[in-house]
Amino acid sequence: VAKTSLTSPPWPKVKLPDPVEEAKFHAEVVQKVNKMIATGQYGRLFAVVHFASKQWKITSEDLIMMDNVLEAECGDRIRLEKVLLVGADDFTLIGRPLLGKELVRVEATVIEKTESWPKINMRFRKRRNYQRKKIIVHPQTVLRINTIEIFPCLS
Amino acid sequence: RYVRQLQRLQLLFSPTAADSRGARQFVEEAALDFARRHPDVVLYISPRSIPAPLLLAEYLNGTVREELIASKTSEEIVQLATKLAGQSGLDIIRIRKPFHTDNPSIQGQWHPLTNKPSVLTVQGPRLQPK
Repeated sequence: VAKTSLTSPPWPKVKLPDPVEEAKFHAEVVQKVNKMIATGQYGRLFAVVHFASKQWKITSEDLIMMDNVLEAECGDRIRLEKVLLVGADDFTLIGRPLLGKELVRVEATVIEKTESWPKINMRFRKRRNYQRKKIIVHPQTVLRINTIEIFPCLS
Repeated sequence: RYVRQLQRLQLLFSPTAADSRGARQFVEEAALDFARRHPDVVLYISPRSIPAPLLLAEYLNGTVREELIASKTSEEIVQLATKLAGQSGLDIIRIRKPFHTDNPSIQGQWHPLTNKPSVLTVQGPRLQPK
């Protein structure tokens, strides 16, 4: 059959590797990463955490502010679950969609519970003598991320 | 290691005026409980002849916040005091970012030449001949 411009798709054809070799390669990589974590060869760790309906990219010693009220008092240590991604300089651990709790541990302390700056909520309609002004102040909490730890229990 | 940012709370009220009734009730009933629950805050109570009762809050960075407590019940004063105790002395203005990091990039910040073949840095861009 003659080859026209539409016989094969325009993208290059991808050859998938052998599944057996692929499994061996995967096991090797997992063991290497486990050894690295166990010996502690990573520098700073960063994590992507889902908290307060938002996803944050956090490292240790950094500040995060929420527009809600947490039930913890000032100075309480909190463990953040729902970790989506953990990474270091040489390797990253991606969760689908979450990582296990035995793998990662993210700790944070509640530093401050304040209110936001007063926001003005005004409604106005022209030529109708209608204006309403309301000042909204909503509470905020400030967290400081203390530590991110990983444990070598991959499989 | 948590350090509370509130240094001291000064409660100024007058023993006879009518609008400092809530302050007097707070002093009689709830001040001891408040002081016991927040052991690292110093609570000064000074009755003197002042036109309006005030609650002064001083923070570790030197900012002083005054709140009027005229004609407020003692529960409201307790809530105010706990709110001030949880705050830090920063100004309450619009903050542009809800996060702050000292080390924003760990694996190296992205620039347009990451993940491209290194032929581009060696050869350089193709310049148009004039």
